[in-house]
Amino acid sequence: MYWIALLPSRDDERIAWGWRALQFTPRVAQVDEALLLEASATLRLWGGRKGLLRRLFHDCEPLACAAWAQGRTALAALAMLRLQLRGQAAPARIPQEFPLDTLSAAREHVPTLERIGCRHWGELRALPRGGVARRFGAALLEALDCAYGERPERHAWLQLPEEFDLKLELAALATTAPELMWSAQRLLTQLQVWLQARHRGVLALELEWTLDLRRLNGVRLPSHESIVVRTAQPVQDIAHLRRLVGEHLSRSTLSAPANHLRLRSLETIAWSAGSKSLLPEDEVKGERLHQLVERLSVRLGEGSVLMAQREADHRPERMQRWQAARQSMGAKGAAVARKTVAPVAPAVSRGAKRQLPCDALYPPWLLREPLRLEVRGEKPHYHGPLRLLEGPHRLETGWWDAQAEAARARDYFIARSDEAGLLWVYRERLAPGTGEGEMAPVRWFLQGIYA
Amino acid sequence: MPPFSRLRSVDPARLPLVWRVQDLAPEEAVLPTGHAALDAQLPGGGWPVGSMVEVLQQGAGPHVWQLLLPGLAQAITRQAGPVVLVGAPYEPFAPSLQAQGLPGERLLWVRAEKIAARLWAAEQALRCAEVAAVLAWLPKSKGAELRRLHMAAQQQRRLLFVFRDAQARHDASPARLRLLVEGVDCLQLRILKRRGPPLESALPLPAHSARVAALLEARKRRSGTKQAPAPALARRSHVLDRTAAITG
Repeated sequence: MYWIALLPSRDDERIAWGWRALQFTPRVAQVDEALLLEASATLRLWGGRKGLLRRLFHDCEPLACAAWAQGRTALAALAMLRLQLRGQAAPARIPQEFPLDTLSAAREHVPTLERIGCRHWGELRALPRGGVARRFGAALLEALDCAYGERPERHAWLQLPEEFDLKLELAALATTAPELMWSAQRLLTQLQVWLQARHRGVLALELEWTLDLRRLNGVRLPSHESIVVRTAQPVQDIAHLRRLVGEHLSRSTLSAPANHLRLRSLETIAWSAGSKSLLPEDEVKGERLHQLVERLSVRLGEGSVLMAQREADHRPERMQRWQAARQSMGAKGAAVARKTVAPVAPAVSRGAKRQLPCDALYPPWLLREPLRLEVRGEKPHYHGPLRLLEGPHRLETGWWDAQAEAARARDYFIARSDEAGLLWVYRERLAPGTGEGEMAPVRWFLQGIYA
Repeated sequence: MPPFSRLRSVDPARLPLVWRVQDLAPEEAVLPTGHAALDAQLPGGGWPVGSMVEVLQQGAGPHVWQLLLPGLAQAITRQAGPVVLVGAPYEPFAPSLQAQGLPGERLLWVRAEKIAARLWAAEQALRCAEVAAVLAWLPKSKGAELRRLHMAAQQQRRLLFVFRDAQARHDASPARLRLLVEGVDCLQLRILKRRGPPLESALPLPAHSARVAALLEARKRRSGTKQAPAPALARRSHVLDRTAAITG
């Protein structure tokens, strides 16, 4: 048997350390203040004791390091750890010379035992068993037998939960949302350990804080508030989630001071790590496109980060639809985002098929709301009078669209202004049949700018 | 032999790492601009990748695409990601850009009004591994903020264009290449700063895309010197794209 006892340096990381230990052996138990691992069955898998210890303690990146000790039995390992934490050297003979107070079951009897000159495990074991059992109870002998490996030990083994759900009490009441970030980061760290242990990537998580007040200024408050953070592709690396949560928190408000924070995983899927390339030039530095889009969308608003989509329509303002990039990327799948290095762009070839020959004559800038132009003496003006160079290009479409007043036809011209260069303007033709429309002034609009 | 005479026998102009004042400094990574006349004047023969290019002009909109589109069309074939527009003055019209080599799906339009938000978004975009190029409109920005963007572009080896007002031409700037764009009918490009000797005269570039220029030229030839008045409502046919019919 090979036991490792470890004590996390931070108290709230004990659960996370337990999950981490579960990656190395299925036998992990929590005994008193420490975690105990039994690793004899998996030693060969990890390359012996040295290999196991190196993997367990050296790159425990998100977690703070832990104190540890090893032993032949669980209680011997625990006693070693306690000695080490007290700063005492290991005794020459193990386990006979362990002090009695390193055995939890003997702690309450230490004063009595010391008065009869019994200070070490070996001396206690040398006392007659019947007398010890009558005087101190059978539990002490039982624990001593376990510590010597003469009686099987029973532990409640840790299990990895199906869903991540952790609650943390805040060190101090948080009055603004960004103050929650520190605690949220602790929770996210533990989430990362859980994800690594379960081999899953998270897609959505919920951060919930409990409000300290029931009512404020006579208004009843809900018992808790929450935000939901989503990401397009499953992540295990917590850096991206941390930034996303930070952005979310910086724009949310607490209706009352909060005292507890809870993190829950809403949606996780099996994690498939990206394949790495052998060639050094394929190694891409920097973050992925979907991460960028998500972060921009959270801070600036979804409607501010846009991607274009072609639409089958002849009205210029309907030829393209600017869609929130977060949605359109999610819909398209991560086809573009996955291909980090492939320089081939399928979008080009697909787009080329849909191209119309007159597309190249359209202006590259478009005005979403056509600008009504001033007309002086039947000539449209925009930074001076406009000279019409080319046109008209008649557009009479959209008659099926009931709400759009685009049922009227438009004549498009390329016009030149001395100051503003080439412009794309249109003259609105009145709907056929309205005879009196001939009398109404012709309206000119600016819709595009050649640049 | 005394060291002096040995030194005298070395011609400094022949040494590989010595360049004379009239030479342009070589750039490590460049992207051809697509304009041959401009390529000839830029150090390395193209847009410098991994440093800021500052474009100064009156007003935000004009000449942007005419100047940059050929280069951007190449940039997107090298990278899988989009071209990010931060704070574009108008809506980019995807059909037109697509016809000129930049499909609408490869554009990421970030709308932000505040200058701080634009700077942040541009910097984040530069840090993304898949972005092909970043175009940022920063009419009022300070030198320190630009320097930060420049550093980000340098670290990540990205193509970065910053558009500023022409009044900023007298301010100091961290950009390695500064261009002043003027003109309405013909694009006059002045290189305010480059690695190498200053360019005395303005560089003329076509102000419109080839198709539009051909259309206007054909129209001018057909109508002769006569100015076209606003045509009557009923006379014309409805085809705008008559380049082929008129020129052919």
